[in-house]
Amino acid sequence: MASNRWLATGNYFTSYREEQRIFFTSLDRSAMILFIVLCFAWPLLFDVGNKYMLVIDNILLAIIAVIGLNLVTGFAGLISIGHAAFVGIGAYTIASFATVLGDRHIIITHCWPLLILLSGFMGALFGALVGLPAMRLKHLYLAIATLSFQMIFEWVINFMNFFNQGQTIPVGRVYWLTGKVMRNDHYLFWYYVILAIIVVIGFGARNLLRTRYGRCLIAVRDNDRAADAMGMHPGLTKVYAFGLAGFCAGITGALHAYLNRGVGIDSFTLHHSINYLAMAIVGGLGTLHGSFWGPIAIKVLDLQVERFSEWAGSHITAATNLTTALKPLSFGLVIVLFLMFEPRGIANWWRIARSYIKLWPFRY
Amino acid sequence: MKMKTLTRWVVLFTAAALLTFPMQAMGGEVYKLGLSLAITGPTSDAGNPYSKGVEDYFNYVNDMKLLGDDTIDCTIRDDQYKNDVTRRNFEEFLDDGIVFYLNYSTGSTLALKRDFEEEMIPVIPASFHAGNLVDSNYIFLPIASYSAQVIGLAEYIVANHKDGAPKVAMFIHPSAFGRGPVEDVQKAVGAGLDMEIIEVVEHGKDLDNTAMLKRLKSKGVQYVISHTVQSPVATMLKDASSLSLMAGSFGEAGKLTFLGAHYTGGNDLVALAGPSSENFYWTTSYIVTSEPSKGADMQLDLAKKYNRDDKAANSHNYANGMMVAQVATECIKRAKAKGKEITKETLYEELLAMNGDNAFSPGTTVGPVTYSETDKAGVDTLQLYVVKDGQFKSAGEPFVPEYTEKIK
Repeated sequence: MASNRWLATGNYFTSYREEQRIFFTSLDRSAMILFIVLCFAWPLLFDVGNKYMLVIDNILLAIIAVIGLNLVTGFAGLISIGHAAFVGIGAYTIASFATVLGDRHIIITHCWPLLILLSGFMGALFGALVGLPAMRLKHLYLAIATLSFQMIFEWVINFMNFFNQGQTIPVGRVYWLTGKVMRNDHYLFWYYVILAIIVVIGFGARNLLRTRYGRCLIAVRDNDRAADAMGMHPGLTKVYAFGLAGFCAGITGALHAYLNRGVGIDSFTLHHSINYLAMAIVGGLGTLHGSFWGPIAIKVLDLQVERFSEWAGSHITAATNLTTALKPLSFGLVIVLFLMFEPRGIANWWRIARSYIKLWPFRY
Repeated sequence: MKMKTLTRWVVLFTAAALLTFPMQAMGGEVYKLGLSLAITGPTSDAGNPYSKGVEDYFNYVNDMKLLGDDTIDCTIRDDQYKNDVTRRNFEEFLDDGIVFYLNYSTGSTLALKRDFEEEMIPVIPASFHAGNLVDSNYIFLPIASYSAQVIGLAEYIVANHKDGAPKVAMFIHPSAFGRGPVEDVQKAVGAGLDMEIIEVVEHGKDLDNTAMLKRLKSKGVQYVISHTVQSPVATMLKDASSLSLMAGSFGEAGKLTFLGAHYTGGNDLVALAGPSSENFYWTTSYIVTSEPSKGADMQLDLAKKYNRDDKAANSHNYANGMMVAQVATECIKRAKAKGKEITKETLYEELLAMNGDNAFSPGTTVGPVTYSETDKAGVDTLQLYVVKDGQFKSAGEPFVPEYTEKIK
């Protein structure tokens, strides 16, 4: 153990348990607590309006989904191109209740925490089902299996009357201790709910990775035969990884349904699956905090490109084609550049910055 | 001396205050509106001229001082046909304090319906989906619904077909937008419209429709009613033309006669399908610039004033955009004339009062715009057009479909 628990400049672990600590120094712990407190406190001090609150809520939602995707793709090494469909499973769980019971039924409006949890389990169930081929398939073949699920999901929703053929199924406003959450407080209320869930899921995932179940994921990713030889069950581990990813996705979907007060298929398409994958890559596959960086980077990039497109459209004559192409172009370019020059994602920049600060003023 | 200086300052200050006060009072009110639509991305071929129509008309209102010193500030945002972006734009507009909202797609209109109700804000979308009006008080369709248009086409077929009940196929967009009118046409058939629906085809992204057309022909289909966007219709017409299946006149025996609702037609279809678009029948409530009228002149003059190219100037979607801007402006004008403050509530009241002697004729439509508590579709009249020599020409007089009322 370092003599100064606030400013340790090196690793002083004397046991495996110490190495597995969530926070290495007291400074880390305090900074994290302060950061979480600030995340909860800032909306009380600043009013950013509903538009930006909605943007922030959407970033937070993507963070939960990408944590799940990172568990299956980053930590377990299984490519999933159907993550948006798992998010959709969560959303359509809520939508199914709304269709059967009515969107203002007390179960929808009052028992929403239970429904969100149930949606998570539905996502986990479908995740595990889709993960079954992972027991026999690998790499590209597995990716195609997940893609198939995405296609089947879209087809089913688009053609079933029960799901309103993909058009919006409304979801009623929820109640909280203070009464019905009305329009003015809607986005702020869901900001706090999503933030609380992120804190729980974030620490949950961090803890999971410290356990044998978490280490199993990494072992199977690195070499499934070696993992098998060491007594792990690679097949079940893969199914369980998909289940975990499905759980996070299901929770995201349910929150999405409540946040947008409705569910429609256009939020769960293949394009969204690719988007989640891009967020995981840009953030840094196989790192927990990469799941935070990726959604922030991609969503902010999206907004900035949108603004630039608008500007270009209003200043350059016949710029429609250019502006139409700008968003997918910038999106694709960012992924390619990250894959070429920084495959470890933004998380690696964070790691470099941290180690620099840790060693400062020494360079080595 | 000190007193003199002080007096001088007081006089100067008073003069400055007196000068600036009337300037502020004369500055006029600014009424904020918002429009979110697909200027780029899917369906932007319709959204782009639509946005230009809205923008140009509001610029015209401000430049010509149609509201006196008051001006309209309509923020136009591109949502690329994505509902989540539309929601974000709508929230931004609300943060800005809009009094009237113009929306675009069917999907986003349905997704935001509850928000419109809660905000109690009048909304005119570019979508004519009848479902927009279900459980809604604040959505106003600019013209007759898609269902009314398709039923109108079906009525025209039945009225002009010889030899028994016509056999009809429907060629629709694979979405709720496309599927919406199918049920209503089936209801109309159930209510006595004497025709047979042989098949409902949901098109994909096919680049060739030979197999489909041959199948329809083998089933004895005589008419194809399309309810989708222009490009799949253009592909189908080209294939029908190359297979020599295109009817030379309405209902020609042994051939297929093609008809379509609002978003299937217009100059873009002629540009895409070329000579294959000849004898394509199309219905809408808007005027076309290929037929001389006061409204057409107004449309072309406006486009010229704001340096729009020929494509935009002659687009029926430009007329569509102009028309919704005209309705919004008319509401403001009427509320002002009554001495009311311009708010969401007063504009909503003016929309509801737009009927009877108060019906509004914008010139860009073939009939007057009428709204009431029970009628939220603006122009009830439809006009049938047919392509002749590469231009849409009127086929008969404007009409109101009968079966839309019968199936209610």
